[in-house]
Amino acid sequence: MEKQEHYAEFRLRVRDFLDHHLTPDLRRAGRLMTSVFADFEATMAWHRILFQQGWVAPDWPQEYGGTGWDIQERYIFQEECKLANAPSLLPMGLQMLGPMLIRYGTAEQKEFYLPRLLSGEDVWCQGYSEPGAGSDLASLKTSAVRDGDIFRINGSKIWTSYAQHSNRIFCLVRTSKEGKPQQGISFILVDMDAPGIKVDPIVGLDGRVEQCQVFFDDVEVPVANLVGEENQGWTVAKYLLEFERGGHNFTIDLKKQLGKLHRQMAETRGINGASLETYPVLGSRLADLEIDALAVEYTELRIKGANSAGENPGALSSMVKLVGTELGQAFNELSLDVLGPAVAPCQLEALEPCYDGDIVGPRYALTAMAEYINNRASTIYGGTAEIQRDIIAKQVLGL
Amino acid sequence: MSIELTEEQKMLQDSAERYLKNSYDFDQRQAASRSAKGFSDERWAQFAEMGWLAMPLPEEHGGFGFGAMEIMLLAEQMGRYLVVEPFLETVVVGGGLLARGATTALAERYLPAVAEGQLQVALAHGEEGKHASMINTATTAVDEGAHCRLNGVKSVVANGDQADVFIVSARLVGAGNSAVTLFAIPADAEGVERRGYPTYDGRRACELTLRNVVVGPEAVVGGRGSAEYLLDRVALDAQLAACAEVIGGMAALVEATQDYIGQRKQFGKTLSSFQVLRHRMADMYVQLELTRSLMLAAASSLAGEEGDAARLISALKARTVKAGRFVSQNAIQLHGGIAMTDELSIGHYFKRFAVLESWFGNRDFHLQRFRELQSVA
Ligand SMILES: Cc1cc2nc3c(=O)[nH]c(=O)nc-3n(C[C@H](O)[C@H](O)[C@H](O)COP(=O)(O)OP(=O)(O)OC[C@H]3O[C@@H](n4cnc5c(N)ncnc54)[C@H](O)[C@@H]3O)c2cc1C
Ligand SMILES: Cc1cc2nc3c(=O)[nH]c(=O)nc-3n(C[C@H](O)[C@H](O)[C@H](O)COP(=O)(O)OP(=O)(O)OC[C@H]3O[C@@H](n4cnc5c(N)ncnc54)[C@H](O)[C@@H]3O)c2cc1C
Repeated sequence: MEKQEHYAEFRLRVRDFLDHHLTPDLRRAGRLMTSVFADFEATMAWHRILFQQGWVAPDWPQEYGGTGWDIQERYIFQEECKLANAPSLLPMGLQMLGPMLIRYGTAEQKEFYLPRLLSGEDVWCQGYSEPGAGSDLASLKTSAVRDGDIFRINGSKIWTSYAQHSNRIFCLVRTSKEGKPQQGISFILVDMDAPGIKVDPIVGLDGRVEQCQVFFDDVEVPVANLVGEENQGWTVAKYLLEFERGGHNFTIDLKKQLGKLHRQMAETRGINGASLETYPVLGSRLADLEIDALAVEYTELRIKGANSAGENPGALSSMVKLVGTELGQAFNELSLDVLGPAVAPCQLEALEPCYDGDIVGPRYALTAMAEYINNRASTIYGGTAEIQRDIIAKQVLGL
Repeated sequence: MSIELTEEQKMLQDSAERYLKNSYDFDQRQAASRSAKGFSDERWAQFAEMGWLAMPLPEEHGGFGFGAMEIMLLAEQMGRYLVVEPFLETVVVGGGLLARGATTALAERYLPAVAEGQLQVALAHGEEGKHASMINTATTAVDEGAHCRLNGVKSVVANGDQADVFIVSARLVGAGNSAVTLFAIPADAEGVERRGYPTYDGRRACELTLRNVVVGPEAVVGGRGSAEYLLDRVALDAQLAACAEVIGGMAALVEATQDYIGQRKQFGKTLSSFQVLRHRMADMYVQLELTRSLMLAAASSLAGEEGDAARLISALKARTVKAGRFVSQNAIQLHGGIAMTDELSIGHYFKRFAVLESWFGNRDFHLQRFRELQSVA
């Protein structure tokens, strides 16, 4: 009981902080999110505010800048932020690279990179995928050839999210062609200002740019930028991939989506002029999804239990990634059914937080189509749905 | 039941297919879609020249007097090649409403121009925050004896940005009459104001505001209070065309995905060697062909003015939405990251399908209607 009170108090403390620091502009940026990324400027502004408060990396060990919160407190914090429409922070540095450096980085690397990451001075992107290496990441070809105390990198990375805003990129590169493909891969940190790097934006299906192709033409990188041993990059990357899949709370995303759907149903009028909320068919469909979301929530709680007991989330995180993303997509589809033609207008300017003109149609319909579109990617990035199923079949079921 | 195409229908299908395949390429489509107008005048003129725009219009007003089968055949090919020109809006819906409802004078003013590609039409019916239906129409037409005065706002008017004539639904007020009526209103009439914008399917629509727009009795389409009846009838053609478009699009997606997974290699093998993808591909194909069967049945029933046409069209729409989602979503899934880009056509089919879902009633609406019509039958 005492614990409950403690958490309730903690929640109030977070709310109070959000009331004071999460400005209307930032909330607007959060509301306008149509993918996992919020507007870049707003994201970094919020990042710096949290940094000031010491709350930017709750998941990190306290000695490196974490908050020392337990798993429940971290969950409460994430939930309050999301439901208050805070822009999501960029995961590439905080969720992926940070924990990895803490585990595998040298003392010098930690000392140099971690503070800059926390303060927001450095913005990182993830250079794994290549045109020829997607699901089969180990077939990557971008090469790093040793020449004294530098590597010379040639090749290209693709689908690199927010590369256009990043000043650094962590890459998997090929340092050897011997043995199994996994054995010749190294993990390296690259300065995006280095001569020979070119970033080409990729226009997404929603009409906006989130991903890029990054080209490397004889880019020189100090050997000291290797993380882990040469040719041991695969081990490092696998650790990171588990964080990428497991560090995320799908329950919170689903709750936010659920809130939106309730609103959309309440505001839209059906055939008889009544709110769509009163429609038994739609109501049942929503309840069905809500129950699935509840099952995800309790599964995440089970995983957290395992986590606190010191177990690796491992394949369980594959399971949540799989159902969490597919369920999110089902929510998007229900949104389209509820809103009807109101989702059709494409108002890219109105999706920018700085836009202050009129919009076409109701505000609660503004993001629905872009969300439906962009969320298709959620079963592709971070390991496709097919790959996740394979992992469950292999690692859990032993097939 | 077997549905045989006539020689003429086969010729139409072949020539549409040949023309679009040889000359309607995706890059030009994108350029036209992004132009201020949202489509290509040149294409539209060619469509007119080939007689496509006249196809379903009555012979006495410059048309060929063909029906549902021809609409289906053309729309299917247009869907396959992702045509952005507003055939559905101007010819099937606009032309259909005028052909069935306009007075001879009005029909003569507009229909030959539609057939020749000189006139764009848009139906302005939906309103904000409502699922399209007659009962909810808030736009009013105050009956002032010699004329009517219209006020209201119409939302997401497809092809509204380029329309020369709007067909507007409004509730009659006065004279004890509150039935919803259709009015043909020129875009340049006094008090008509539009705000155009692009839609996610690469086309353009508008919000239409009517402020004290005064129209005479000759503007009434289909007689007072007949909007529901008229729209219900024309919606059958429109729905058939929209579904045929999606089915053409699904065929293109199945082919493109089949091709892609046969070439793309991961883990040292082509993607098509992974059974889960082969099965998915098989399911996509099955969805396409099942839906095509319903389309042919619905078209032939509609062409024959048979009693179950409306029920079959509702069945077709409900099934097309389901199949369209499955096929377009999986086409993206099987392509992976590359299909999430603007550069590939795959995602543009997906977006077009998503917009067409709610055109003249979405899946839920048609499931409901199917049940209602079934209990009547
Ligand atoms: C929005 C978005 C953001 C991204 N951000 C980043 C980023 O920041 N950094 C980065 O490095 N990458 C990023 N990616 C890339 C992402 O990780 C890859 O797209 C993903 O790994 C899939 O690779 P692919 O796109 O090449 O598809 P492919 O691997 O070619 O897959 C195509 C299809 O084949 C299936 N398939 C492949 N192999 C098998 C198999 N063995 N069995 C069954 N099915 C199989 C897949 O499931 C998929 O359906 C991003 C992608 C997207 C869409
Ligand atoms: C009620 C009944 C009546 C029958 N009547 C007849 C009959 O009159 N004459 C006759 O000859 N036989 C008959 N059969 C046998 C029937 O043809 C076999 O059961 C069938 O071929 C499946 O073989 P199996 O039971 O050995 O299952 P298996 O072949 O062992 O299959 C088990 C599972 O593995 C799947 N599977 C197998 N191979 C693959 C693959 N390559 N890829 C993906 N999945 C695969 C199957 O789909 C199934 O889900 C009958 C069976 C039943 C149940």
